[in-house]
Amino acid sequence: MNAIITEGLTKRYKDKTAVDSLNLSIDEGELFALLGVNGAGKTTTIRMLTCLSTPSAGHAKVFGHDVMAEPDEVKRLVGISTQDTAVAENLTVYENLKFMAGVYMSEEKGKEAEKSISDRIENIIKMFNLDEVRNKKAKTLSGGWKRKLSIAMALIGEPKILFLDEPTLGLDVLARRELWKIIEDLKSKVTIILTTHYMEEAEALADRIAVMISGKIVEIGTMDELEERTGKKGLEEVFVEIAGRN
Amino acid sequence: MNRTLVFAKRNIIEMSRDMLSYIFCIAFPIVMLLIMTLVNESIPAESGMTIFRIDNLAGGVVIFGQTFVMLFTALSVSKDRSGSFLIRLFATPMKSGNFTNGYILPMVAIAVVQSLITFVVAFIISLVVSYDLSPAGLIAAMIAIIPSAIMFTAIGLIFGTLFNQNAAPGLCSIIISLGSFLGAIWFDAESTGGVLLKICRCLPFIYCTKAARAAISLDFSMDAFVIPELIVLGTATILTVIAIAVFRTRMKADLS
Ligand SMILES: Nc1ncnc2c1ncn2[C@@H]1O[C@H](COP(=O)(O)OP(=O)(O)O)[C@@H](O)[C@H]1O
Ligand SMILES: [Mg+2]
Repeated sequence: MNAIITEGLTKRYKDKTAVDSLNLSIDEGELFALLGVNGAGKTTTIRMLTCLSTPSAGHAKVFGHDVMAEPDEVKRLVGISTQDTAVAENLTVYENLKFMAGVYMSEEKGKEAEKSISDRIENIIKMFNLDEVRNKKAKTLSGGWKRKLSIAMALIGEPKILFLDEPTLGLDVLARRELWKIIEDLKSKVTIILTTHYMEEAEALADRIAVMISGKIVEIGTMDELEERTGKKGLEEVFVEIAGRN
Repeated sequence: MNRTLVFAKRNIIEMSRDMLSYIFCIAFPIVMLLIMTLVNESIPAESGMTIFRIDNLAGGVVIFGQTFVMLFTALSVSKDRSGSFLIRLFATPMKSGNFTNGYILPMVAIAVVQSLITFVVAFIISLVVSYDLSPAGLIAAMIAIIPSAIMFTAIGLIFGTLFNQNAAPGLCSIIISLGSFLGAIWFDAESTGGVLLKICRCLPFIYCTKAARAAISLDFSMDAFVIPELIVLGTATILTVIAIAVFRTRMKADLS
């Protein structure tokens, strides 16, 4: 099944077209990377797909639900880790996770629900190795820990699609590598749309890569396909070649 | 309702870990009670000035304390709005009502706790200075001040939604000064009279203190309590409706 389909998806600001007629189709279970420099329109695309921004034209469907007509359904299916880390600063790691779990699971009540919430939190803590900081306030965490928490919070509602907007932006090499590993482990469990301007990140993680320039997707395909089409080796060379043509 | 409580709980925890909330919401009212009681002790009895007598003082300080609850609401909301935390919550099933109620409920609860502490201290002071302060009046006042707590919280929510982290506290300080002056917290507007009293009567603040003071002295007459309380209740309702509408409109704009 298609996790995401867009047709002519466009976002215009006053004097600027941030996203220009995007036609995309992303399969369930895929890890899809949107690659582009700053200002290419990656965040705007993600915002439209998560009901955080209304498209100016075109359509987008998330597991068959239109982002404009059925926002409530879409919101239940997506988890987003925004470009800037978004956590409640004075809450501990555990409290942040519990808070988000409450937001998603507030309809479920009783002992069983409580058990399943706490099981979920424990699983996520294990997956992200958050145990040693579980009782630390978010504001005391380093950038890497905070980012991990922010992503963990996006997963606690068990979304079918996880949006990661520049997940490793501003992290040091070790924190980045650790996050890559976590993302690889997540691959089998959830459809992931990831944006990045790091070539090596897209190359290391993505099943398919879309190269975005000035709001348009100018190339899309697997790494092999992109190399074949451009006749270059390695994503950096491929990207330079594509950017040069556009 | 449930998401509202989840969000309200988060707001309470955030505030309970901020030292400033204790200083402004609890320590400050207590300090004002003590200082003004000392001032009152040095006012000669012949002057007939009763504004700082513990019964009047308690009613004034409790409203003064609520103006800081307003400041705190504005700070929390504008801080949330400046970061990505609210944005990420906008992508969850939370609705605008969950946010506004989740902000208002804990603040009103804090105002009630604040009034409890203020009145306990006021009662102790009344024993020390041997003034007869009725515990029943203090309990009645704790209920009577809930509408004004809602009113100040609504003002804070409006400022916090419309203005950023730098502007919102400044605007709140204006309301704090205006409220404590034109609310006749530190002077007796009725006996001052004149234009000043007319201005006071055009704003809701004086009715907050009037109703609180009347409740403390167990005077539930029309003029002293019922009418002021109804005015505060009406203002609180209108401002709450406005605050909710403003937040909803802003949230829509953020998502446009
Ligand atoms: N709210 C906005 N108002 C006006 N212009 C915007 C707004 N958001 C983004 N833009 C513009 O749209 C373009 C794409 O931005 P963005 O999607 O954030 O790019 P990226 O995430 O790829 O760095 C940029 O030129 C940016 O300045
Ligand atoms: Mg971006």
